Amino acid sequence: MRTGISSWLWRMVLFLWALTILLPLFWIFYQSLKTNQAFFADIWAFPEHLEWSNYEKAWTSLGIGQSVVNTLYYVGLSLLISLFVSTVNAYAFTRIEWRLRSLLWSIIMLSLFLPGINILVSQYTLMRALNLTDSLNGLVLLASLPVGAFELLLLGSFMRSLPKELDESAFIDGATLFQVFRKIILPLSMPGIVTIGIFKFVGLYNDFLGPFILISDPAKYPISVNMYNANAMMEYKADWVTLLAGLVITIIPTVIVYVLFQRRIIEGATMGGVKG
Amino acid sequence: MHMLKNARLQKAIFLFIVVAPAFAAYVLFTLYPNALSIYYSFLEWDGIGAKTFVGWDNYVRLFHDPFILRALGHNLILLVTVIPITLVISLVLADLLINRAFKENSFYKVLYFFPNVLSLVVIALVWSFIYDGTFGLLNGILRVLGLGGEHNWLGSKGTALLSMIPLYVWCYAGFYVVIFMNAMRGIPKSLYESATLDGITHMQRFSKITLPLLSGVIRVGVIFLMLSVIKGFEYMFIMTQGGPGGATDVISLYMFNFAFGSLNLGQHIYGYASTIGMMIFVLLVGLKLILDKFFAKDSIEY
Repeated sequence: MRTGISSWLWRMVLFLWALTILLPLFWIFYQSLKTNQAFFADIWAFPEHLEWSNYEKAWTSLGIGQSVVNTLYYVGLSLLISLFVSTVNAYAFTRIEWRLRSLLWSIIMLSLFLPGINILVSQYTLMRALNLTDSLNGLVLLASLPVGAFELLLLGSFMRSLPKELDESAFIDGATLFQVFRKIILPLSMPGIVTIGIFKFVGLYNDFLGPFILISDPAKYPISVNMYNANAMMEYKADWVTLLAGLVITIIPTVIVYVLFQRRIIEGATMGGVKG
Repeated sequence: MHMLKNARLQKAIFLFIVVAPAFAAYVLFTLYPNALSIYYSFLEWDGIGAKTFVGWDNYVRLFHDPFILRALGHNLILLVTVIPITLVISLVLADLLINRAFKENSFYKVLYFFPNVLSLVVIALVWSFIYDGTFGLLNGILRVLGLGGEHNWLGSKGTALLSMIPLYVWCYAGFYVVIFMNAMRGIPKSLYESATLDGITHMQRFSKITLPLLSGVIRVGVIFLMLSVIKGFEYMFIMTQGGPGGATDVISLYMFNFAFGSLNLGQHIYGYASTIGMMIFVLLVGLKLILDKFFAKDSIEY
């Protein structure tokens, strides 16, 4: 009998934690469908009439539409380039023998030790000196071209686990390095590449500080900076339901990606956490 | 085409096209700025005018700046609350999810991780709505429970910093639930079985077997959380701007405001900001080394 009660108590604990996540998100969602008057009148009441026009307003007057386009461009291009960079570098560092390999590898791994927060100023002045501020392509370059230690570790361990005979026999059959990479290593590494891709997507989509510092033209804001600015403007506008609608729009892609890939995201997080 | 048959040439081309640019970009965008910050920390520079070399002046200023200590104090309060609370909550939740067979567990496993993929701005704005003084969710809940509900959580000095604690715990716990669940799955069943034969309770099993075996993972968790909390100043930047009256000013935000903030009438003070950045760097690396030494002996291999 005692175990029955304690079992229910523990079950409540799990339920309460779930509630802390679901309740605010659900609350934000139904508040976003109210009028501003109803929003201020009673924070619990469900909307009497669903104001979908809030979403239309957020899309146009808050500029969510434009920032979605910017985000798609910035995230999409960064994702393509960085996946290419990570994959070919992981291949070069784990399956090809060359002279400076271990030296360069350890120099790249140095970044795991650097906290990164101390270079906000210098990275900004560097980007400014290179004329890469206020440019989505500048963001893309910064986010995708430098080879990352995390990606290299993850993909590297993946490629190392593939048997050596695979490329050796292909070389003997007369395949070039490029063919071996494209026809053998790349397809076999796909699961690892997808995992990295999802992670990169989540990171890029959610990034705030980089775009905030580097982009000052509102027409080029990605969605995170746009929402920050929209919120700052609300001091004067007090149109909270539109802001909430914008917030929901911002959350939607995250939910979709998470629902589709939750297994891989959760597995990938563990890999990253252990390697860190 | 027969040129490419030459293996050495192929290798050289591949490395030159593929490794060289990415490595150069890494050196330029990651390593070089680190060196640059050291240089900047010895300058008086507003980002536009001439750079004046001022030697150790910024470092002298650092040691006489009372706001540095205040900000570090706020960081310390967050660290000593957020880290243990997050670890306890996520250990308990992970244990419940792994060792109790409730049918809703598989749903919770997915749900708990969700805050980790939410955008930082979204989290900051959602929590601003939770804490708002007039239409906030928290006040709404308190009113329902008959516990008042007129308090402006982020707007009053007494509660602004403390209000950040639940936010951090909420953001980070899900990640550690997953980490700890995986670690718990790795514990050999035989250990539990022999303990159960000895008549051990669930609680004892948790404290005597699970916890000690997890100490290595917990150490990594402490380091990760430390970094996350110190780096996660954007929440304050978005939600409170460090206010009211500096009540939520943490060290990274203090640095950020010198460089990019509006507190100095739009002036950029890159030199001093870089000096504070150097201090944060030394603190973080130092703390990490201490933790490594301190915890290393406790971790158990099985």
